Amino acid sequence: MTSKSISLRLIGGSVLWVVFALVVTGVVLVGLFRSHVERAFDATLNIHMEELLALSGVDSKGKILLKRHPSDPQFVKPLSGWYWELRTGDGGPERSRSLWDQKLNLPENTPVDGQSTFAITGPRDEPLRVMTRIFTLPEGGKPISIVVAGPASDIENAVRDFTGTLVFALVLLGAGLIAAVFLQVRYGLWPLKHMRDVLADIRAGRATHMEGDFASEIEPLADELNALLNRNAEVVARARSQAGDLAHALKTPLAVLTNEADRIGGETGVAVLRQTTVMGEQIDRHLSRARAAGAHDVLGARANVGAVTDGLSRTLRRIYDGREIEISWADLRGLTFRGEHQDLEEMLGNLMDNACKWADARVLVNGYAASVPNTLVLEVQDDGPGIPEESMEDVLGRGRRLDETISGSGLGLAIVCDIAELYSGSLELGRSSHGGLSARLSLPMG
Amino acid sequence: MRVLLVEDDPELVKQIAQALQAAGYSVDVATDGEEGQFLGETVPYDAVVLDLGLPKVDGLTMLGRWRHAGLGMPVLILTARERWSEKVSGFDAGADDYLTKPFHTEELLARLRALIRRSAGHTMPTLECGPIELDTRTGKTVLNGITVTLTAQELKVLDYLMHHQGKVISRTELTEHIYDQDFDRDSNTVEVFVGRLRKKLGHQYIVTIRGRGYRMSVPEGPEIDR
Repeated sequence: MTSKSISLRLIGGSVLWVVFALVVTGVVLVGLFRSHVERAFDATLNIHMEELLALSGVDSKGKILLKRHPSDPQFVKPLSGWYWELRTGDGGPERSRSLWDQKLNLPENTPVDGQSTFAITGPRDEPLRVMTRIFTLPEGGKPISIVVAGPASDIENAVRDFTGTLVFALVLLGAGLIAAVFLQVRYGLWPLKHMRDVLADIRAGRATHMEGDFASEIEPLADELNALLNRNAEVVARARSQAGDLAHALKTPLAVLTNEADRIGGETGVAVLRQTTVMGEQIDRHLSRARAAGAHDVLGARANVGAVTDGLSRTLRRIYDGREIEISWADLRGLTFRGEHQDLEEMLGNLMDNACKWADARVLVNGYAASVPNTLVLEVQDDGPGIPEESMEDVLGRGRRLDETISGSGLGLAIVCDIAELYSGSLELGRSSHGGLSARLSLPMG
Repeated sequence: MRVLLVEDDPELVKQIAQALQAAGYSVDVATDGEEGQFLGETVPYDAVVLDLGLPKVDGLTMLGRWRHAGLGMPVLILTARERWSEKVSGFDAGADDYLTKPFHTEELLARLRALIRRSAGHTMPTLECGPIELDTRTGKTVLNGITVTLTAQELKVLDYLMHHQGKVISRTELTEHIYDQDFDRDSNTVEVFVGRLRKKLGHQYIVTIRGRGYRMSVPEGPEIDR
């Protein structure tokens, strides 16, 4: 998956959203739980406060006293974290035994009336949650302040335990959701993957059209693509046909002119002949370029090198029937050229024809996958005289012939060069180990 | 030798027909595929020069039908279609040679000569029968090293007999192969040409097989009927 992958975008976006939602949920739930625990804690403090209030009374002298201490043993156990104090304006405060000889350090700004809840530090420096309230007993007397404190760590412990459980549950939920998103994306995008596979088949030449069932959302795309492929094939076929028609339309009059020039002879005849020859060569070269240019990027075009070599060898044996030339080639059936069958035939045909023209007795065709990825090398060698090193560049130029005694326009290698370049390939000439010319054609492999 | 030329361009037809006739061939012309196919199926040609882009029936289709029907005359495709894929298709359809336009008449004649020679089983351009030598390229006839002058018709008869040495050739076959379809044929004239050839080259080389025709060969046994 690359950064442009739809799957990655969908899964990435969903993961971010799930994580965000779960974090927010966690924070909100912990907040709510803390609030709930605090309320419950405050309710407990309130119960203790009301018990203390109920136990408070006024003696005959009007002094406020506690009839008995609250029953909760936590208020007896020294420094248990649970404390109470009863403060009156006339004497030292009554306090729980759990405070031992300590007293609660209430802040200076403790409210003097009403009820309030706040946090202080206890005798053991532990955090305490404190509730205070000012009362005036019905029997009379001065107002009393009842202070009840409990360990705030109970709240924190409950929140921590809850948070731990919640995080575990949310992580589990998050993993489940992400897995579900992954499966959903895979399942949802499966039609696109299927389409990609079919396109790969077309590119590889295993299919010519987008066949099969597609999801209704992408079916129009498949239909359009099929229409485009058909149109492409039609355009190429028409271009080839028109190029053929043009060749026919031009070459027949050229043939008439050539024969007429042959018949006339003399300076005029030679001049006309020279021009008709140039015209013929130009038509050949530009037509072959035009045909290949229109077809070199056709989607899914593939050609089997073995089949092309078989057909050409059969033909060349007939053409060079009078000369005993042995054309041999390796098994090339496993090699595929990524391009038009006719263009490969044109390139290989010109190379093999050139080799047959110059060979003494042998022409060899070999092909293999190059070390450069996706590159096919086709090598045509002969045992003829070869070409001097310094002339190799020249023969790839425009219609250059090194030996005018051999028939042909001299365009063959230049045409091969032109078509190979259209396919981003190349033609290299060298000396064959058999003595003659070695032509190495590098082309894209299917 | 009788050649069928199937080509739809009138100018080119005129030029090629003239060149072929000047080279000693009897030429029949068809300007569309239908006519060409009919002539090819009904007349025993020694060779066919066939264009591919033809009205009515395409050249390749016509060639395929001939081969399917068992007709084996040598066919030279003469076309503007110069691609190798088209050449492969042409040869696969049964062509014996392939020449692309524009072309030089001399090249066409040379290829046609070679084609006819090969189809008759000869490899060299000069045919020999004992002391008689015939250069198929020039029509020059030599007897014991001395050039013999022949008329165009005599040369046609000799050319056909030299190509088919050892085989009995009927008068009808000889007539069919030395005259084109427009010629007012008379088999007696064949006898006249054979008689003249015997006078110029020697009686022993062209033998009359009674009731069957002529056979050209180097005499080995007793002569049957001169």
